[in-house]
Amino acid sequence: MQLALFWIFSILMLAFALGVVFLRNPVSSAMSLVMTFVALAAVFVTLDAFFIAVVQVLVYAGAVMVLFLFIIMLLDLRAEKHRKVRPSAWLGGGLVVGGFMAAISQVIAGWSALHQTKPELSDPSFNDVAGVGFTLFRDFNLPFQIIGVLLLVATVGVVLLSRKELK
Amino acid sequence: MIDPVFLEVSVVVLGIFLLMAEAFGLAKEKSTLAWWAIGGLAAVFIGTFFIGPNSNSFEVSGFYVVDGLSLFFKRFVLISTILVLVMSVDYLPIVQRLVPAERPGAGSGEFFILPVFTCAGLMWMVSATDFIMIFCALELVTISFYIQVAYLRRSMSSLEAGTKYLILGALSTGFLVYGITWFFGATGQTNLVAIREVLPLIPVANHPAILFGLALVLVALGFKIAAVPFQFWVPDVYQGAPTPVTAYLAVASKAAGFLVLIRVLEPFFTVPSFQNKLFLALVLLALLTLVFGNLAAIPQTNFKRLLGYSSIAHAGYLLMGLAAIGDAFAGGAVVFYLSGYLLMTFLAFLILVPVTKASGGDDIAHFNGLARRSPGLALAMLIAAASLAGVPFTVGFFGKFFIFEAAMNQGLYLLVLAGIVTVASGFYYYFKVIRAMYWQPAPEDAGPVAITKTSSVAIFILAMLILILGVYPQLLIGMLP
Repeated sequence: MQLALFWIFSILMLAFALGVVFLRNPVSSAMSLVMTFVALAAVFVTLDAFFIAVVQVLVYAGAVMVLFLFIIMLLDLRAEKHRKVRPSAWLGGGLVVGGFMAAISQVIAGWSALHQTKPELSDPSFNDVAGVGFTLFRDFNLPFQIIGVLLLVATVGVVLLSRKELK
Repeated sequence: MIDPVFLEVSVVVLGIFLLMAEAFGLAKEKSTLAWWAIGGLAAVFIGTFFIGPNSNSFEVSGFYVVDGLSLFFKRFVLISTILVLVMSVDYLPIVQRLVPAERPGAGSGEFFILPVFTCAGLMWMVSATDFIMIFCALELVTISFYIQVAYLRRSMSSLEAGTKYLILGALSTGFLVYGITWFFGATGQTNLVAIREVLPLIPVANHPAILFGLALVLVALGFKIAAVPFQFWVPDVYQGAPTPVTAYLAVASKAAGFLVLIRVLEPFFTVPSFQNKLFLALVLLALLTLVFGNLAAIPQTNFKRLLGYSSIAHAGYLLMGLAAIGDAFAGGAVVFYLSGYLLMTFLAFLILVPVTKASGGDDIAHFNGLARRSPGLALAMLIAAASLAGVPFTVGFFGKFFIFEAAMNQGLYLLVLAGIVTVASGFYYYFKVIRAMYWQPAPEDAGPVAITKTSSVAIFILAMLILILGVYPQLLIGMLP
């Protein structure tokens, strides 16, 4: 059952990921990306990571992609439709992708954990929201604080770079 | 005694204070902010000499280490930031001309505040011993650099540089995170100390996974230190970014990148099966970087671009030192080289800013006749160029000498040969600047180059240090961790 679900959602995810790359209309690309995120969230659910799945849908498929779509529609990107892709770009991209795939498949083929099944949760009532919270605010407190500083800097930067006339 | 964690915290607090001071108009002149920042950072610098033992508190211990190396580099980063701020004060008129402002001076205060946050990020980076921590600190640094590179919004080349740096930086971050996930998958750890312990126990079948992760992390850090073939962003970004930011990128960002690289690679040098492959990769990277960086610098006519290629070339010598890390003194040689590199690169950029303001551009041709216009500046530039090329009696000579010595001891004869040949080509392209200053006539209407007091003091100190350390390097060697 779980394996079947994994394959269904993985194939969905990959199909829509290809759509992101190959569809010529930017809005269709963005919507394919939403579907990729949703399928990824489903895979997280099969791994019992409910909180991550919900966050994946809320933050990525929801907030981030809405922003994306807004910008695409505001900019009215038509040039993408008429863009010709040069053969040399095809060749270069193909080589990189092929090399990467070859490397990954070789790595995975030899991996000892390949045929392990997912271990069951030792405590089925485990609260993963609390778990993420404890990990984030207690175990990883210092990196978390650094991310706070990062967000402050990013906010300052957005104001600096996007205001028409700085006051 | 100060808890070392407070060093970064006080830098962040300083940054927030400056943001508030800017927002509420506490500083009448924008440059006042820079002086406050310099004062605050200098206080933190003094604080680094009164460090107590690392508080082994639960939140901090696994992520953050304070040893001789990280302390040395914290001071390195603080000095770099102070020099960047000194340079920025000089650069302020250009910023104010190229930032769209409603009233004069608006939007230029942050130019002095963002480096303070970058400084905190760099200080965390050099202390990081966990991949999560490395990632967070590195992102803080990179994101603040995106903003600083694109700061001059009316200059097309600055915007282009910002966009390029953003896209390629995001790509390299992707490589880094992907590499980290492979490490985590294969070892179950993100902590470098823990990885070092687990590494010998990993079954051989999983070694390709770790090597794959290592390759990805090497690519990502190769971007940060500008190693060939991950260098293609360097010339455009160095040329388009505001000059103080270029200097900051060239020195502090590269040095912190090298330290992270050393820390990440260290566990893998302890296991023989990884050691050989890693060694081969480093030799190859060093060779490519040396040859490409030096050859591509030869035809350059823009001084910032030339320094961009020269910074690639210097990354090649540093990688040579890293490949020779088995030698007892190789680590010290790399740190010595980086310290010398700080002195000479900042000297060159500190001179470039007033020359750009006086001559209206940063091509080598804008240095024409500088020896007649401002003999002192020309002499300082002569010292910087000689040191960058590695002429004896400058700190640059000893930097290269120690690296070559370590590489010879490790039997890397091919690399040393490539190093010597490329040093010769370095002589040629640094000499172009000297020729422009001493043998080309100055433009008709050109007078002496105006320079602020602080800049001239900084230039004098840096030039003297290059010469003193070029005769008596023990002074710096004694301070090495």
